Amino acid sequence: MKLLHTFLGALLIAALPSVAHAQCRSFAKNKCMPAMAPYKFNETFNAAQLAPGEDAQVDLTFYSGQEYRLLVCAHPILGHVNWQLADGAGNVLFNSTPDAPKDSFDFKVATTQKLSVLISVPKGDQGGTNMLTVGCVAILLGYK
Amino acid sequence: MMRAHYLFYSFTIALLFAACGGGDQPVTQELNVPALDSADIIRSERTRSIFYNIPSPMETAGLLKSAGAVYDRDILNDVKNVDNYTAASKQALNLGIYGADLSYASVYNNTQESMLYTSCAQKLAKKLDVTNAFNQAVVDRLEKNRNSRDSLLNIISETYWQVDAYLKENGRDNISALMVAGGWVEGLYIATQVAKQHNTPELRQRIAEQRIPLDDLVGLVKTYGPDDPAIASALKDLERLQALFANVVTPSGNSTITQEDGVALIGGTAPPASLSDEQLSAITEATFAIRSSYIN
Repeated sequence: MKLLHTFLGALLIAALPSVAHAQCRSFAKNKCMPAMAPYKFNETFNAAQLAPGEDAQVDLTFYSGQEYRLLVCAHPILGHVNWQLADGAGNVLFNSTPDAPKDSFDFKVATTQKLSVLISVPKGDQGGTNMLTVGCVAILLGYK
Repeated sequence: MMRAHYLFYSFTIALLFAACGGGDQPVTQELNVPALDSADIIRSERTRSIFYNIPSPMETAGLLKSAGAVYDRDILNDVKNVDNYTAASKQALNLGIYGADLSYASVYNNTQESMLYTSCAQKLAKKLDVTNAFNQAVVDRLEKNRNSRDSLLNIISETYWQVDAYLKENGRDNISALMVAGGWVEGLYIATQVAKQHNTPELRQRIAEQRIPLDDLVGLVKTYGPDDPAIASALKDLERLQALFANVVTPSGNSTITQEDGVALIGGTAPPASLSDEQLSAITEATFAIRSSYIN
């Protein structure tokens, strides 16, 4: 019986990332994608399960002659997620902070270039519990 | 207490099956699949995840059209080849290739060919066991919307996104990387072949600009390490192209931000990317050879 419990427990732990990813896809599709209209969205799936205190970076190529919408969509469990768009030299071109939170940024580029999206989940107050808060953060790019 | 344990495990297992899409059969493939790690979920230290986003085949096809490229069906991968791909790595590369051909045909409103390439892509998706994301229902939706170009393009984009997401959520990121690599190589192949007949400055610029996503693609493929022979081979191909693009100057550095017609405009002082005749010729030749090795 103990063996069975151990096996099932191990199965649960091993499969947790898959479950979390599946939930992330569903979250991105149902809660984030509708906000991309009328832009056509880029077909790459960029989403991650992040915990408070964690960072993520996405490098993106933007072509001249197109308009873009960049959307950072975080599960409400994480609260506000800080994010910024920076050029190759590290200059911040757009910033979403707790004082001025924004989910998306519409823009175009004069010349084709690579820009980076930097995401930071603030360390939240865990309220003295040991519960680990992990939530999906999806980065969607649309163009027209 | 014992009953509570059973209930907990039963619920957990039911949840796992629901999340994995139910009745899908496990795939048999030659690739090394990275082990799922519960550390992805349970973390104690600050980490930084870096993602590489490669422009999609649909975006590339749209850029080619905007640059004045014409449609040439003769350069696309023959639909008859689809049954030749038995190894998972070839299936993944050619899912990307047929996906790019599908985008190219659809952007140019060639509905009949779009349907043929949809069929090829679906066959490969089935072989790769991604029918959860690309199944007959998708083909039916495409067929139903075949006369509405915008709907068709949206369904194709959504399907490609679902396939990519499905592969990643099932720990098959290396298959996803090969699919993305195949799609990108096909886009470059189409552009360079079209440029042989329509060598316009706009098209040359778009080809030169591929240096930027190529660097990201190399970064993406490198994340899977050299132990996987298919990944190692694709990396070698991409690095061969990277060497040919090495002297292509692309805009970088400080950017400014202004407003133009109510939209933020990110500008720079650098001139657009460009290619010499020799560079274009070398890139065209190498892309042809690499793409041939993928489709044959």
